[in-house]
Amino acid sequence: MPELYLRLLNRILTPLLLLLAIYLLLRGHNLPGGGFIAGLMAAAAFELQILSRGHDRVRRSIGPYLNSGIGLGLAIAICSGIAGLLNGVFFKGLWFDLHVPLLGELAVGTPVIFDLGVFLVVVSVATSYLLGLSRVSDTAAPIPDGAPSPELSDSFETDPAVVADDSSLRTER
Amino acid sequence: MLAASILLIFVSGAVLYWIRPHTRVWAGWLSTLPPLAVTVWQLNAALPLLSGAGAESGGKADLQNGAIIAEQYRWIESLGLELSFRLDGLSLLFGLIISGIGVAVALYTHYYLEDDDRQGYFYLSLFAFMASMLGLVWADNLLTLFVFWEGTSVTSYLLIGYSHRSAVARGGARNAFIVTAGGGLALLAGLVLLGQASGSYAISEIIARPGLTELDLYPAILILILVGAFSKSAQFPFHWWLPGAMAAPTPASAYLHSATMVKAGIYLLARLHPALSDHPLWLWALLLFGGTTMLLGAVFALRHSDMKALLAYATVSQLGVLTTLLAFRSEAALLAVVVGILSHALYKGPLFLVAGIVDHATGHRDLRMLGGLRRTLPVTSGIALLAALSMAGIPPLFGFVAKEALLESAYSAAEHGEAAGWLAFGAAAVTGAFFVAYSFTLLWEAFLRPAPSAETGNLTSNSPLKSGATPIHHPPAPPFVAAPLILVALGTFAPFVLKPLSRVFTPAAASIAAQPVQVYASLWHGFTPAFLTSLLAITVGIWLFLIRSRLRAFLSQLPDNLRGVFLFQRILDDLYALAQVTARFSQGYTLATQSGVVLLAASIPIVVALRQINLNDLFPSPLALPGAPETVLILMIGVSAYVTARVTSRLGAIISLGVVGVSVTLFYVFFSAPDLALTQLLIEVLTVVLLVLVFTKLPPDVRPAMQRWKQARNVLVALAAGAFGFFLVLFNSSDAMQAALSISDYFLHNAVPGGHGANVVNVILVDFRAIDTMGEITVLAIAALGGYALLNAPRVRLPSSAPSQSASDQPAGSEEANPVADTSRSNIDPPTDTEAH
Repeated sequence: MPELYLRLLNRILTPLLLLLAIYLLLRGHNLPGGGFIAGLMAAAAFELQILSRGHDRVRRSIGPYLNSGIGLGLAIAICSGIAGLLNGVFFKGLWFDLHVPLLGELAVGTPVIFDLGVFLVVVSVATSYLLGLSRVSDTAAPIPDGAPSPELSDSFETDPAVVADDSSLRTER
Repeated sequence: MLAASILLIFVSGAVLYWIRPHTRVWAGWLSTLPPLAVTVWQLNAALPLLSGAGAESGGKADLQNGAIIAEQYRWIESLGLELSFRLDGLSLLFGLIISGIGVAVALYTHYYLEDDDRQGYFYLSLFAFMASMLGLVWADNLLTLFVFWEGTSVTSYLLIGYSHRSAVARGGARNAFIVTAGGGLALLAGLVLLGQASGSYAISEIIARPGLTELDLYPAILILILVGAFSKSAQFPFHWWLPGAMAAPTPASAYLHSATMVKAGIYLLARLHPALSDHPLWLWALLLFGGTTMLLGAVFALRHSDMKALLAYATVSQLGVLTTLLAFRSEAALLAVVVGILSHALYKGPLFLVAGIVDHATGHRDLRMLGGLRRTLPVTSGIALLAALSMAGIPPLFGFVAKEALLESAYSAAEHGEAAGWLAFGAAAVTGAFFVAYSFTLLWEAFLRPAPSAETGNLTSNSPLKSGATPIHHPPAPPFVAAPLILVALGTFAPFVLKPLSRVFTPAAASIAAQPVQVYASLWHGFTPAFLTSLLAITVGIWLFLIRSRLRAFLSQLPDNLRGVFLFQRILDDLYALAQVTARFSQGYTLATQSGVVLLAASIPIVVALRQINLNDLFPSPLALPGAPETVLILMIGVSAYVTARVTSRLGAIISLGVVGVSVTLFYVFFSAPDLALTQLLIEVLTVVLLVLVFTKLPPDVRPAMQRWKQARNVLVALAAGAFGFFLVLFNSSDAMQAALSISDYFLHNAVPGGHGANVVNVILVDFRAIDTMGEITVLAIAALGGYALLNAPRVRLPSSAPSQSASDQPAGSEEANPVADTSRSNIDPPTDTEAH
C-alpha cells in the first residue's frame, strides 16, 4: 500500500498539475509552454497517480482512453494541417480573432489546434508507457536476495491478467 | 469538384464505419449513394462530350483532347508539390468504371459480409481504396498520381488481409504489398526522372512535349516506369501476386483485382503513351512482357479448379492483352484497349461476384464440388452464362466486340509487315482459344452439367455430389444478386448501343493518342481475316474444353519450384537470413554493443570533418572563459557523470544521472531557453521516477565484474560519443557556419507577424516546422505501438528450450513460425500474436 503522505500529496497535487498542464498548453504560443511540455506535465500528474494509487486503479480510470487519445491527437494534428490547405497550402496557419467575454481578444489559429493534437499524443504515449512499465515491474516480482539468476525465467511465464487484458483489446478492434 | 468527390468517398467510408453497417438493414443501399453520386456527377460533367455530335465527326478536337475539368490546389509549395486533377476522356472512362462498379460492389458487400461485425472496417478500407483510385486516375501531376498510387497499394493490402486470422490471407496480402510497393519505389524513381528530364511534373504538359524518347535518360525512365506498371498490373514476371490476392473477400477481388486496381498500371501506360511510346524499346518491352503474360495467364487458368483462382489467371491474361495492345501506336489498337478495359470490367466483375454468391450459398467455390447450380440458383446462373459467354468472346456479346477490336488491330499491324504485329496476332489467337476453353469449363462444371456422374475424371469418389446439384445452404437475398445483374445487363446491352458508347470510347482513345482519332468500335466487321480467326479460336477453344481433364493433368505435373510464389518465398527467406546475419553483426545482443555501434557510427562524420577543417576556426576568438555559475555547473556535471559510471548500486546511478540532467537544465536557464529547460526538467523527472519504479523491482545484479577489455571498449565509445557532441556544437556555433546557414533571424523576425506568437520556439514547432512536428508525433505514436506490444505481450519463457529457439531462427514472416505458439503451459490464441511480427 502506498504511503499515506503520498496519497495526500496526490489529492492536492494532481489537480494542480493538470491545471498547470492546461495553462502551459494555452499560453504556449506566446510564453514558455506548448503542447509538448504540457503533455509531459500531464503525464507527470498521472505518474503521481500511479505511484500513489497503484497502476491498476489508474488503468481502470484512464487506460481505455489512451489508445484513442493517440489516434485523436494525430487526427487533430492532421486536420489542422488540412485546414491550412483551405488557405492554400498544407499546414499554412489560419487565424481568427475571437472576442471572448472576460478574456478579451483571443487569437485562435490552426497552429494552436495543432498544438492540442501534439499535447494529446504526448500525454497518451507517455502515460501508456508509464502504465505498461509499472505493470511489468509489478509482475516481475522481486526475487529474494542472493537467488541465482536462472530463476529469472520463472517470472517470464504467461501472466493471465495480461492475456485477459489483451484479448479484450483485440475484440474491441 | 474532383477533389470534393474524392473527399466525399473518403468521408462516407468513415461514416459507414461509424454507423456499424452489419446491424442495419439499409446500410447496403446507403453505401451505394456516394459512388452513385460521383458517377452521376461525372456523367453530368461530361454531358457536352456525350451529347455533342462533335465526337462522331471528330470536329470538336478541343473537346476530345482537352480536359473537361481541371483543378489545382497548392499542397507543399516549397517542394513544388501540388494537388492537381484533370478529367479528360481516359480519366472519365476509368472514373466511370471505378464509381460505377463501386456502386454494385458496395451494395454486394453488405450481403456478402452479412452478420460480420468487421463489415464497417471493410467498408472503410473499400471506400478509402475507391477514393485513392479516383485520385489516381484524375491526377494531373506525377507526384499526386504517385501518392494515390501508393494509397491503392496500402488499401489493397488491408483488403486482402481482411481475414487477418488466416495465414493464407496474411501471406497473400504481404506478397501483394511487397510486389506492388516495391514496384511503386521503382515508379517513383522513374516519375522523378521523367519530371526532371521533361522539366515539368504536370502530366498534361509532359505528354504535350515532343522528343522525350530521344533523351539519354529515356531507357532508365522507361524501365523504371515499366517495373512500377507491370508490378501493379500483374504482368510477367510479377503475375503471381494476383492469384495470391484472391484470399481477399470476394467484393474486394471483384473490385480491386479485376476491375480497377490492377488496371492502374494499364492506365499509367496509357496515360504516358503519347510521351514514351515512340521508341522500339517501348514496343518490344510491352509486346514481349504483355504477350508472355497473356499466354501464361490463359494457359494456367485451365489448371485451377477454384473459381476465384481461375478468374484471377483469366484476369492476368486480359491484363497481358491490354499491355500488348498498348505496345502499338495505331488508332485501332488504342480503341481496342479502351473497349477491352470496359468490357473486361463488365464481365469479369460480375463473374467474381457470382463466384462469391455461389461460395456464400453452397459453402464451396471449387469446381470439383459444384454442379447443377442452374436448378438451384437460376438467376445467378443466368448472370454467369451471359458473363462467361462474353468472356469467351461469343457474338454478339461485349467480349466479342473487344476481341474483334483486338484481332483487327493486331492484324492490321501484321498486314503492314510488322513482325510485332504477327507476334501479337498469333498470341491473341491462341489466347482467344484458351479464353473460350476456361469460360466453358467454368460455366459447364459449376452451373450447367446435369449430374456429376456424367462427367468422369473430374470428380473424386468421395465427392458430395450424389444427387446432381450442389445443395444450397443459404439462398442469396435479391439485392445480393442484383449487384452482378446490373453489371451484366450493362455489358449485354453495350454492343447494341455502340454508337452512343463511342462518345466515351473515342475521347478516351484520343487521350491515349493525344490527338483526335477517327475509329469506332463496331459489332460486325464483315468476314474479315480477324473474324475468321475468331471463329477458328472458338472451335479450338471448344476442342480444348473437351480435352480439359488431360490438359489439367499435364499442367499440374509442372514442378512447383518454377512457380513465382515459390521463387519469391525463397528470395524472402534468403533476405531474412541475410537480415539476421547483419543484425547479429551490427546490433548484437546487449544494449551495450547496440549503443556502441550506433554511437561509433555517428562519430565517423566528425572524424572525417576534422580532417578537413582548421581547428582554430572552430574556437571563438577571443576565447571567453566561463563565468562562476557555469563553472560550478560544469563541475557538477563532471562529478556526477563520474559518479554515475563508478557507483555500484542502481539507485545511486539513477540519482546521479538525474543530477547531470538537472544541471544541464540549469544551463538552459542561464542561457535563457525556458522552453528547453522546462522540457528537459520534465523529462528528467519522468525518467528518474520511471527508472526508480522499474529498477527497484529488478532482482539484484549478481553478474561477475566486467572484463577489463570490455571496460576499456565502453570508455572508448563513451569518449567518442562525447567528442561527437562537443565538435557538433562547435561546428554549429562557429562563425562560418552561423553566417552561412543560420535561419534564426528569419524565425525571430517572422514569429509574431507570420506565426501570431511571441514564443519563437513554439511557433517553430507548430507553425514553421509543423510538418516535422507532425512526423515526430507520428513516430511517437508508432513507438507507443511498439512499446505496447513489448510491454503487454504475453511473456514468453526465455529461449532455454530448443523448440522456441528454432522457431525464432525462422524468418519472421513465414506464417507457421510462431514463437508464441511454442510457449509451454500457455493457453493463448496463437494467430493473434503473430501481428506483432
